[in-house]
Formats: sequence, structure tokens, C-alpha cells
Amino acid sequence: MTASDSEAGRRLIIHADMDAFYASVEQLDRPELRGRPVVVGGSPEGRGVVAAASYEARRFGVRSAMPMARALRMCPDAVRVSPRFDRYHELSQIIFGFYRELTPLVETLALDEAYLDVSAAAPLPDEPLRVCLEIKAEVRRRTGLTVSVGAGASKLVAKVASGHGKPDGVVVVPAGDEAAFLGPLPVAVLWGVGPKAVAALEARAIRTVAHLAEAEPAVLRAIFGNRALAVAAMARGEDQRPVEPVRDHKSVGAERTFSRDLGDGPELRAVVERIAAEVGSRLGAQGLDAGTVTLKLRYFDFRTITRQTRLGEPSADAEVLRNVACRLLEQTIQPADRFRLLGITTSNFAPSGAARVTQLRLW
Amino acid sequence: MRLSCLQENFKRGLDIVGRAVATRTTLPITQDVLLVAEESRLKLCATNLEIAISCWVGAKVEEEGSLAIPARLLSEFVSSLPNDRLDIISSGPANQVQIKCARTEAHISGHDADDFPPIPSVGDGFSVQLDPEVLRKAIGRVVFAAATDESRPVLTGVYTEFEDRSLTMAAADGFRLSVHKVALSEAVPEKISVIVPARAYSELTRLLGDQTDPVTVTISASGTQLLFHLNSADMVSQIIQGTFPNYQQLIPKSHGTRCVADVGEFLRSTKIASVFARDGSGIVRIQMGPSDDGLPGKLVVSARSEEVGDNTGEMDAVVDGDASKIAFNGRYLTDVLAELSTGQVALETTSPSSPGVFRPIGADDYTHVVMPMFVQW
Repeated sequence: MTASDSEAGRRLIIHADMDAFYASVEQLDRPELRGRPVVVGGSPEGRGVVAAASYEARRFGVRSAMPMARALRMCPDAVRVSPRFDRYHELSQIIFGFYRELTPLVETLALDEAYLDVSAAAPLPDEPLRVCLEIKAEVRRRTGLTVSVGAGASKLVAKVASGHGKPDGVVVVPAGDEAAFLGPLPVAVLWGVGPKAVAALEARAIRTVAHLAEAEPAVLRAIFGNRALAVAAMARGEDQRPVEPVRDHKSVGAERTFSRDLGDGPELRAVVERIAAEVGSRLGAQGLDAGTVTLKLRYFDFRTITRQTRLGEPSADAEVLRNVACRLLEQTIQPADRFRLLGITTSNFAPSGAARVTQLRLW
Repeated sequence: MRLSCLQENFKRGLDIVGRAVATRTTLPITQDVLLVAEESRLKLCATNLEIAISCWVGAKVEEEGSLAIPARLLSEFVSSLPNDRLDIISSGPANQVQIKCARTEAHISGHDADDFPPIPSVGDGFSVQLDPEVLRKAIGRVVFAAATDESRPVLTGVYTEFEDRSLTMAAADGFRLSVHKVALSEAVPEKISVIVPARAYSELTRLLGDQTDPVTVTISASGTQLLFHLNSADMVSQIIQGTFPNYQQLIPKSHGTRCVADVGEFLRSTKIASVFARDGSGIVRIQMGPSDDGLPGKLVVSARSEEVGDNTGEMDAVVDGDASKIAFNGRYLTDVLAELSTGQVALETTSPSSPGVFRPIGADDYTHVVMPMFVQW
């Protein structure tokens, strides 16, 4: 490695991921919940799904997206709490505000997860660990919450590293150690390797990232097509994707699968309300106003339809999203319909506040 | 059911109730017309669950009964028939009707009348008689300012208030507000306010036609429905539940510039400017200059677009106060000016980012507030 490689070209990317964010916030705000298994999500009357589980609950096997009824069977002592997206959003703003003080190169992945490019902040080889510890300490000081931090020369390595240390962990992968770090891990850790590819690779006894890095190009082409070269590069720890502070959002949405099929009624309306609140909160977090709202419905037989409408004026207001989604639902639903999934997606975003022309409002 | 009536009358009835037939619906029977043969007349009803229209057609009823028939099919069939005697009989297979006219005969499958949504009866409650001309004008003045998207249901309605000897209607979509207040010939017994769907008012205007007899408006005691009793038909509308914004506080109390111009000229200039504003955000710019050195005051209406070009129209106006400028969505301007249609209008403004107020000259019954567009001049 030449001097120019190690200095000018070296990147330090950090992946910072809050630990069991929603559940930790609940434990923060309600001290009586600390040390107890907490699950955040809809009510257990068959329909609710786990949005987040505290580490105490995870020990019982409770995981995100699991039906609440099942989660509470696995962990009968768990305390169930309804999500409070406003509060999560508020804390997320504090955390991201701090990240942006460190570097302008912050890429938001979710309310609780981000990539930071801190190459400029850590010019010396022994500094990555110091930067990581500083991030953890400052997040804890400002919010009282813990964050797991992974650092490395690429997004891929940083993300895998943060997952390695969870919860409340720090894992720094030194420059040059990427292939050794990733090598023993299962292929599924790689970005773009989904369940189908995992099965196809398994059939050829390719199970680890190291196996994948050594695989015949022809084998990879058969599985990944024109993405084969990119996947192989990633398996060698090469990932040049930049941290992109502003991502070009095409849509923002959320959906829920019910643990039992639902027809029209208060339960379904409550789901619409909760999803609208979540989507509104996400839009708010990204500073976006949506011009189009799409309702997605999956029937009991997996037939899936979408219905969409344009808003008179772009909005991120949860109440507006709920009203519009309910209207779309009413226009579609037949008395005997049963659904297994409902989702709300927003798109067609209005230009940010920088637009020169604005129609002013009466109130 | 067994009756006979004239094709012409039956067709007129179908046309009247046809507008209440549901188009996009999850309850298929709302795409039907309900036929009810009673005593010496035939009653026709249709509803889209927001409004319901009923009307009566003179008929010779031999056997009473009722049946719901797909509206579109029935209308298309009946309007193609000659104006002759129609015989309507349902005695054969269940829910089927036989219609005979001259040498044409049809059998149409319908649905059990019991499955048709009940038309709410609005009996006792608040009741007032209104001059159709007053009603027509009030609706026309406000209905276009109601919201068309459903994001805030109350804004799709028209706030309607009866108090003492006055009727006030107000509609607002968040960008503009229309308020019309008229005197009633008689005082109402109590103050009452409801939010009526703008669509119901639009249908009412159509149903009114050229009726000159008073219309009876009845608001149910529960405050959930209201009935308009016309010569030709009855219309029942749902009342939108919720709180209408406090619109009075949205009307500016003062202004810095007041410009009085001819409505026709103003409208023409706005329409021309709108052609050039079309590809932008519909921005029409207005400049008002007071009289200077013996020259009359001026109202200048302009629009420009990077790609298409630009346009400026000028007219004489009486401008009091400071010279000023303001930009509006061209459609909002044409909407209010087209509704005023003749005479003179005053436009009152305070700043390029404060609401503009339109008032007809010579009448204090109407106020229309429009929020401007904030633009770089």
C-alpha cells in the first residue's frame, strides 16, 4: 500500500444503529419498564404485529414483524406498548442533529439508523475507534439511549460490523482486514443476496462470503446475471457506494400483514390510522410532502390490488393520509372481503421548501 | 306491481333521480332505481348514500308493489322508446319486470326492493321556506370554493347557517373562502347551522330548474340529514359532521389598496393571462396603480412563462391607497369573476403575501377571500 492509498483514498464509514430503538425509548420514558421485556406494537387481539422488542424480550425469541399474539405467547411477561411515533421522531431528530454536527455526509436509512462518512474527521489510523466511542458517548449523553456502531472502509463492512457488536457495541474493521472480517460470515450478509440466491448458492456448497469470493465467475453469472461482478467485488470487501446525504425518494410507505384476515370494521380502520401515522411520521422525518397516496390491499387469497389518488395539495399530515386512505378503502371494499395485508404508500413528492413559487394558505 | 304511465313522464322521472344513482360503489343495489307503485302514482328513488332523490310520476296503478331495477339499463331502454303508453308489470319470476310500449316488450331482472337502502325520512325538525332564486344565487356564489379532495371532509361541504332573518353560506378549500349572506323574508325560530355537501347543493341547483315556488328545507332533529322539497322531487342529503373552520377570522379587517374595476374586463384579461400562465403554476400577476397626474388609475393583469412567452392586459380602475402588486392562481381569479359576471368588483389587498378580498360593488352580501401565490417579482 502506498502513502497516497492510505491517506488520500482511505474512507472511514460508520454505520450507527440504535439498539431496539422504539422499545428502548419506552424504557427510557417509563423507568418501571427497564430490565423488563418490552414489545412495541399493535394490541394482541390477534392482529397486532411487533414493531420492536427490547433485548429482554428478544431472549425469548421475540422478533420484529412477528404477530403480537405469538410474541406474547413466547414471552407472557412482556409489557406491550403502543408505538408513539411522534416521540421516536423527536429523539431521532436529536440524534441526527448530532450526526450532522460531525459530518454533513449523513445518509438516513430509518428513524434509528444511518451511515456517516467521517473520513475527514478521523485522518489518523488510530482514530476510528476514538470517533466511534465519541459517537456512543454523545448519543447517550443527549438522549439516554444506546447505539451500536460499526466502522470500516465501506458501507457494507460498517453495516455488518455494527450488527456484530449489538447491543451497545463498537466494532472497527481496520483498513485491509475487510476480506478477513467478511470471509467467515454467511453469504446473506451481502447486500443484494436474497433468499433465492442463498438457496442457489447453498446448492453449490457456497455458504460463506469467503466461498463466494473464490467462486467461479461462470457460477456467479448463472445466479446473479449481470450483477455477478458487483457481488463478487462485494464478497472481497470492495464496496465503493458513497454515503448519500440526500437520497432521491420515489416513495415512502408502510404496510402490515394481519395475523388473521380482516374484513371491514373498526379493527381495519384502526390499522389504517396507525399506518397513516407511521407514514406521516416518516414523511415528516424526511421533510417530504406527498402528492399521491396509494392504498395496497392483499386479499385472503393473495390477490393484491392498489388504488391511488392525487391529493389536492401535497401533504405529510397523518390525518390527511388517513382520510384519503379510508376513502379509497370505502370505494373498493365489498361487504364480504377479507384482507391479509394493508399498506399505504405515498409518492409524487413536492419539491422541497426551496421552491420559488408557493400557493399560500388561509390557515 | 302492475301499472301504466306515459313514456315521456317515466323518462323525465328517470332523468331526475338519475343523478343520485351511484356510479362507483361497493353496494351494487345503489346502481338501481327503486320503483314503487302506490295509489295513483309511481314513485322513483335513487341514492348514492350521500344524497337520495325521489320523484313521482302520474300513473294508473292496478296493483301496488315495488322493485329495484338497474338504472342505466332502464334509462337507456326507456329513452329509446316512442312516447306512448308504458305497461310495467312484475308478476312473473321473482324480481323481474316486464315493460311494454307500443310493439316493444322487455324483461329486466331487478332486485328485491327490501334490499334497497332505506331513504331517510326527514319529518319533524327545523323547517324553512326559501325563494328558489335566493337559493340558486347563494349556492352559485359559494359552491365552487369548496374542496374537491376528501382530505378534510368538512371542507367538501358548505357551511349553512340560519339565524333570525338571514341565511349565510360559506365554503373554503384552504386557499380561498366564499361567504354569501342574504336576508330571509321571515325570521327563523332558532339559530341553526349545518354543513351540506357541496355536491348536494350542485344537484339541488340542477333540480331547481326554473321552479319559482318556494323550496321547503327541513333539517332533521338529529342534525344528520336535510330534506329539500321541490315541485318536481324530494332530495335528502347527509349532513357532514364536524366543525367548520372559524371563517370570520379569515376575512381581513383592513386593507392598504382598494381597486375597483369592471368585472367583465377583469375576467377577460384574466382569461387571456391564464393562457400564458398555463405551463407555469397558473400564476396571474396583478398590479394596481392609483391615478397619477390626471391619468386614471390602472389595473394591469399579466402572466409570463419561460417557454411560451408573456402577456399584459391593462384596464382603467379606481385605485385608492398605495400602488401594489399581488399574484394569484389564475383559476381562483376566473372562478370568482365568472361567478360575479357583471357590474363592478373591488379587490382589496394589504401585501403580496396577505389575502386578497373581492367584493361586488353595490351589494354587501358577498365576500370572497383568496390567498395569493408567493412569487419572485
